[in-house]
Amino acid sequence: MNALVIFGLLAALMLTGMPVSISLGLTVLTFLFTMTQVPLESVALKLFTGIEKFEIMAIPFFILAGNFLTHGGVAKRMINFATSMVGHWYGGLGLAGVLACALFAAVSGSSPATVVAIGSILLPAMVKAGFPNRFGAGVIATSGALGILIPPSIVMVMYSVATNTSVGALFMAGVIPGLVLAATLGGVTWFRAKKNNYPRQPKASWAQRWVAFRRSVWGLLLIVVVMGGIYTGIFTPTEAAAMSAVYAFIVAVFIYKDMGLKDVPKVLLNSANMSAMLLYIITNAVLFSFIMTNENIPQALADWMLGHGLGMITFLLVVNVLLLLAGNFMEPSSIVLIFAPILFPVAVKLGIDPVHFGILMVVNMEVGMCHPPVGLNLYVASGITKMGITELTVAVWPWLLSMLVFLGVVTYWPTMSIWLPKTLGMM
Amino acid sequence: MINKALNHLEELLVTFLMGGATVIIFVAVLHRYLAGVEIPGLQDWLLTLNFGWAQELCIIMFVWMAKFGAAYGVRTGIHVGVDVLINRLDESKRTKFIIFGLLAGALFTGTVATLGGRFVWENGAHYAIFNFFGMAGEDLFEGPTTPDLEWPTWAVYSAIPLGSSLMCFRFLQVAWDFIKTGELPHHDHGHVDGLEEEHVPVDVDVYSMDDNLHPHDLKHEMVGERRDGGDRRQTKAAVAEERRGGADRRNGNGDRGDKQ
Repeated sequence: MNALVIFGLLAALMLTGMPVSISLGLTVLTFLFTMTQVPLESVALKLFTGIEKFEIMAIPFFILAGNFLTHGGVAKRMINFATSMVGHWYGGLGLAGVLACALFAAVSGSSPATVVAIGSILLPAMVKAGFPNRFGAGVIATSGALGILIPPSIVMVMYSVATNTSVGALFMAGVIPGLVLAATLGGVTWFRAKKNNYPRQPKASWAQRWVAFRRSVWGLLLIVVVMGGIYTGIFTPTEAAAMSAVYAFIVAVFIYKDMGLKDVPKVLLNSANMSAMLLYIITNAVLFSFIMTNENIPQALADWMLGHGLGMITFLLVVNVLLLLAGNFMEPSSIVLIFAPILFPVAVKLGIDPVHFGILMVVNMEVGMCHPPVGLNLYVASGITKMGITELTVAVWPWLLSMLVFLGVVTYWPTMSIWLPKTLGMM
Repeated sequence: MINKALNHLEELLVTFLMGGATVIIFVAVLHRYLAGVEIPGLQDWLLTLNFGWAQELCIIMFVWMAKFGAAYGVRTGIHVGVDVLINRLDESKRTKFIIFGLLAGALFTGTVATLGGRFVWENGAHYAIFNFFGMAGEDLFEGPTTPDLEWPTWAVYSAIPLGSSLMCFRFLQVAWDFIKTGELPHHDHGHVDGLEEEHVPVDVDVYSMDDNLHPHDLKHEMVGERRDGGDRRQTKAAVAEERRGGADRRNGNGDRGDKQ
């Protein structure tokens, strides 16, 4: 009963269009003042201690690193490297776009940031090379979603905060699905380009490839810093994030020089703005899940679901449908923070691996970012190409469809996600 | 005038906290590894330094950044919500929902500021302030300190009342401006410029696109198309037509057109 009131209130408040964080907070306050005996002081304390975990601090650091990397230099050189490697195949620049997105995703933790970084450089180039506007926008908007699947990933940090799963294991688990998804998207690109006979780039010689690699190596090294650092235990994930922020600053300002020192405060302020928004949602989501745990709601839901004979297969199907629906209304961080604490206990009771469940949620979020009405990637692509959302929706469907198939595979084949972290002994 | 100073102070504080925390963690990690390398002189000096407090300071700085950054976020309109439904309503209804949302924000942050303020007062601020003026009472609670830095927790936690009050003020400010002008704040550099432009502005903000995560204000125009539900299955020609029309309208009313 309490559960119904809480969720009903939360849904009603959210649908009025107020910020997600505020609706979470107001739900908690209403509940506190009317229905429970939890002392108000403990809530005031939770407002501070809710985000007093060092793991959470990886989020602002990754955002900062991403913002330093977005400005031309690193992305441009990665695109050149990718083009020299795969540009001569069918799909040319489109295929290079998928590869460049995958490479950039390995240094950035956010999908829309990947679309901005790669798209703002590659999309104009694709139009100049003779690709239709729609094709380019479709490739980049969907490939940009790799940003949250290939580590580092802000959404994975959110999941680990909500469920106490190891960030390192989640990051490792994202590697293979990320590569598989990149290959799938690349395959669709190749197939469509071959069918429509889109232009190809001249084949680059190995010497040219080597030069392109050497120019992009400063950006690529960041992959080694983050993943290598976490895997070998030199850094904790948060420290790795801080190191990558400093490294990205040095690369952007002193090595590639796309950015002057005078731009640094702007980048800091902009990153702080974005991080504070996400941290504010976390604070209130922590309050919300504190209240729920206090009322035993996740446990009750788990028992109710299990009592109705819900098997693993049905449960995962329900989760997918629920998350895909939620993807029509909310952005990924809020979905993960609200749904993970509720669904996680059930998943654990059904014997689903926490890391596998995390990857499944992330892939669901990726799909949500690529379709209207709230898909951030689409809106970023629309900002770059000045195409309308209706037109973009039509443009992305071949890739989106392949992504849904991929989601099915991820859901029912856990080995793909958990093999690597298991083999590396991280879980 | 005072408002401008407050804006600057807020931006300065948030920028400083973001940069500062990054530098602190970087230096602490560097210190941890350099202290293990045998460089005569340097190693001895490094071993005398203790960076055990770095993690705690970083957390405190980020929590302060989160509280004041959230207030700054209200001013820049970055907070995401579920605005799919209200963006489909007609203007007069949408106006009501937007004002309701802003006032709800003010209500929540105001309540939190009060709760947090009382908590901070009872956990040491009362003692510290009275002690400072030399009128300490016997029965006042001195309050706990943080584990590594041994700072009084009330000072650390005062981010809640201070930040939330500021945020409450910002919500009221935005609501007032919206009632007066019909405009909500949006980031000036939110839109990546068109196809000719290859350089992304340094402070591009992916959360301030035309998505349905933020309410559309009364002067809002969609990029590339007008969205009124019915005409979603347009032919390509109609889309192109719409786009031309949209561009004209944008330039015509001079809202976003002049920024692009």
